[in-house]
Amino acid sequence: MTEQGETGETITILLVEDDAPTCWRLQDALVKAGYEVRTAGTLGEARRALGEAAPRVLLTDLRLPDGHGIELIRETRRRLPDTEIMVISALGDEESVISAITVGATGYLLKDAFPTDIATTVRDLVAGHSPISASIARFIVRRTQGTAQGSAEPPPGPVLNTAKLTPREIDILWGIAKGFSYAEIASHLGLSRQTVPGHIKNIYRKLEVHTRGEAVFEAVQQGLIKL
Amino acid sequence: MSEVAAKAPTRARRRRLMSRLVPYLLLQALIVIATVLGLRLLQPSDPDDFAVNDFSLREDGATRTVTLPHFTSSRYSLADPPLYSGAFTFQSGDPGWSVFLPRFSNAVEVAVNGVVVLDSRRDANANRPDRNTPQIAPIPSSLLRDGSNQITVRLFVWGPLKGFLDAVYVGPDANLRPAYETRTLLFVTLPVVFSAWQSILAVILAIMWLMRRHEPVYGVLAAAMLLGVVQAFLPAPVPPAASSRLAAVLLASAPIESALIVVFALMFFGWRWPRYATLLFVPGVVVFVVGLLGGPPLPRILFLVLGIPTVGICLLLMAGITAAQVVRRRDAASFTLGCAVTIVLTCWIHDMLSVFEIMPNERIFLSRLSYSAMLVAIGAGLTWRFARALNQVDSFAGQLVTRVREAEERLKASFVREEERARAAALANERTRLMRDLHDGLGGQLVSIVALSERGHEGATITNAARAALKDLRLVIDSMDDIGGDLMLALGSWRERAAMQLRPHDIVLDWRVATPQGLPLHPELRPWHVIQIVRVLDEAVTNAVKHAEARHITVTIETLDDGQGDGQADGHGPYGVISVADDGGGFAQTGNGEAVSAGQTARGLRNMKSRAARCGAALDLSSGTSGTCVRLQLPQRFPDSDAAAD
Repeated sequence: MTEQGETGETITILLVEDDAPTCWRLQDALVKAGYEVRTAGTLGEARRALGEAAPRVLLTDLRLPDGHGIELIRETRRRLPDTEIMVISALGDEESVISAITVGATGYLLKDAFPTDIATTVRDLVAGHSPISASIARFIVRRTQGTAQGSAEPPPGPVLNTAKLTPREIDILWGIAKGFSYAEIASHLGLSRQTVPGHIKNIYRKLEVHTRGEAVFEAVQQGLIKL
Repeated sequence: MSEVAAKAPTRARRRRLMSRLVPYLLLQALIVIATVLGLRLLQPSDPDDFAVNDFSLREDGATRTVTLPHFTSSRYSLADPPLYSGAFTFQSGDPGWSVFLPRFSNAVEVAVNGVVVLDSRRDANANRPDRNTPQIAPIPSSLLRDGSNQITVRLFVWGPLKGFLDAVYVGPDANLRPAYETRTLLFVTLPVVFSAWQSILAVILAIMWLMRRHEPVYGVLAAAMLLGVVQAFLPAPVPPAASSRLAAVLLASAPIESALIVVFALMFFGWRWPRYATLLFVPGVVVFVVGLLGGPPLPRILFLVLGIPTVGICLLLMAGITAAQVVRRRDAASFTLGCAVTIVLTCWIHDMLSVFEIMPNERIFLSRLSYSAMLVAIGAGLTWRFARALNQVDSFAGQLVTRVREAEERLKASFVREEERARAAALANERTRLMRDLHDGLGGQLVSIVALSERGHEGATITNAARAALKDLRLVIDSMDDIGGDLMLALGSWRERAAMQLRPHDIVLDWRVATPQGLPLHPELRPWHVIQIVRVLDEAVTNAVKHAEARHITVTIETLDDGQGDGQADGHGPYGVISVADDGGGFAQTGNGEAVSAGQTARGLRNMKSRAARCGAALDLSSGTSGTCVRLQLPQRFPDSDAAAD
């Protein structure tokens, strides 16, 4: 079967998921939407698949039989910067999603999402619209508050550096966290509706920690590590 | 019975006190004997080979032969002083002869062969009757003749005691001078040294008192010492030369000084101040005032009559006080002081015997010397006590630091324990809550899935139940997040989930936030409040999907403040309202058609109301042909405990 994207070019997706029924479900939804989907059940298979050809989109579960999806995301982000990465999550909980974001993932896909939603999400991702959920936005803005208060011990959960975010970006995140749509946020903040996705993409890039050394540097800057 | 019981301890106590007093008194007797022996042994020896003892005395116009030492009969003889005439033999060839007078009072004028060689009135030290100042004078060799030479001594007496002249020594200077030096050392230099020492201690004690006003014992002793120093260094006036009255009375201030010492002893031992103790100062003040008003020679006379007995009484009081203290406390300080007082008392008695000519000795007064020594000892003792107190303060401070540190550590440990306990309690509470929440939602849904699967249902029903279970799991997880009292943050996630739920049904979710801030902040908001509210909203949306066949669902969020609590809100202030309205047919009509559905709806409604009540919210439901509206009015303050929970 050959699948064509809306623009005519074939969009390839690498789907990494160890649970077979879930994998089929997602694969079906994506294939029906016209994407070319390859699947991998383990970290090793995924690496081999990535070595053969670079996909346009990588969708990966985090808990894999032979390793953690975080490693896969980090490697892919470094080797294939043009590949969009998204996490597949059963619950969409901040703990796993935020750590994936810090290594280069953009948002998450719920495993039980409706097929149309799955296709829409991937289409938006490829179009450059990075989706961000209210709960993730909430987690990030709560973290900016935490660092602003200068609390003695770092808050629980994954380490997240929010220092680079601009006040405008934080305002946008507040809007998303409170359930406002992009249009509502744009009108509240006096922005054009089209610029909001760009801001969100920037937010994702700013939350990413590129190297281990940089991570340590950031942590020291943030006072999370005391030398 | 009781009398016997009361008497028995008294008797036992008396016996115990006696058993302490007797050894102490015996020891004091020993000290008295030792003092007397010591005085005998330490008495300076004079070169008896050169003594001239036989004189003829012309006194009051009468001439008689006397043997020195001799007491005059009058206490005052300045106009016509007694004249002692004697003779000594000189062999030419002996170099440098001198005349040496070990003791006299009050002053002497010595002439050899009619030429005056010594006038003691010029020596300030020699004019003090209480100081046993010796005098020596070289005799110019031109005055001396081979064989018999004449020596005359005029004795000036101005009280308060009778005149006294000890043996006169004439001989080679080399033989006389060692005895003179010894006496000078003992009776001139040593008192000066003691007085200097005393003055330094007075300064130190005065400073201590100034810095520690609540311990007047130091001040009293400093005053006593100061008086002593003044007496020691004021020059004694020589009649008939006029001297200041103040100097005269200050020289006679010994009774005040001794009274001060008694006061010091009382304070030092921490005794209660007896009312009649002030009487001790009366003689001293009388001497002072009368002397100041009357002028010389009144101070001297009064001193003799009042002062010296007062000093004796004070010494006896001191002895009594210290003895009582020794018996009571048996401490080293009172014991040492008691022994010192005994020595001074012995010296005082010795002096008295000498004054009353009962003891035919050389009239050497020792009270002053021993008293000064005692004061110095007391001062040293006080300084020692002060230093020890400082050490105690240091060690106390050290102990305090250690104790505080220990207490701090204990406190820290207990704080950690307490914190752990609180954390454990919070965890247990949270676990209970989580279990209840999961039981309410997820558990029931999973059971429903099992039941559906067992009955062979396929597809949609199981899918819906499973989706509901997942949604509820996400709700529980989501509500655990700390949202800082901002319910809007919870509603944001709920909007996403609700939109996802409605999308397959082609129902549009309209989201209207009527007031800019949305809902008021509730710092008291807890996860279980959030879960109840979100479940009510879920139920409302689910009902709209299932029964009302709606195309639009509008969620309106607003903050109202009508100035008066509406319904169950217990106070004034803003409160939030969330309404879920649909454009369906209303459940009442639908319910009329389907009995089962009506029963389910009624149960659902009851469920929603009870959930709302649990977190203090009020639920209103209105339904008509234009749709159904569920209005949830939030409380101004969420309740702390899950009151309605059972």
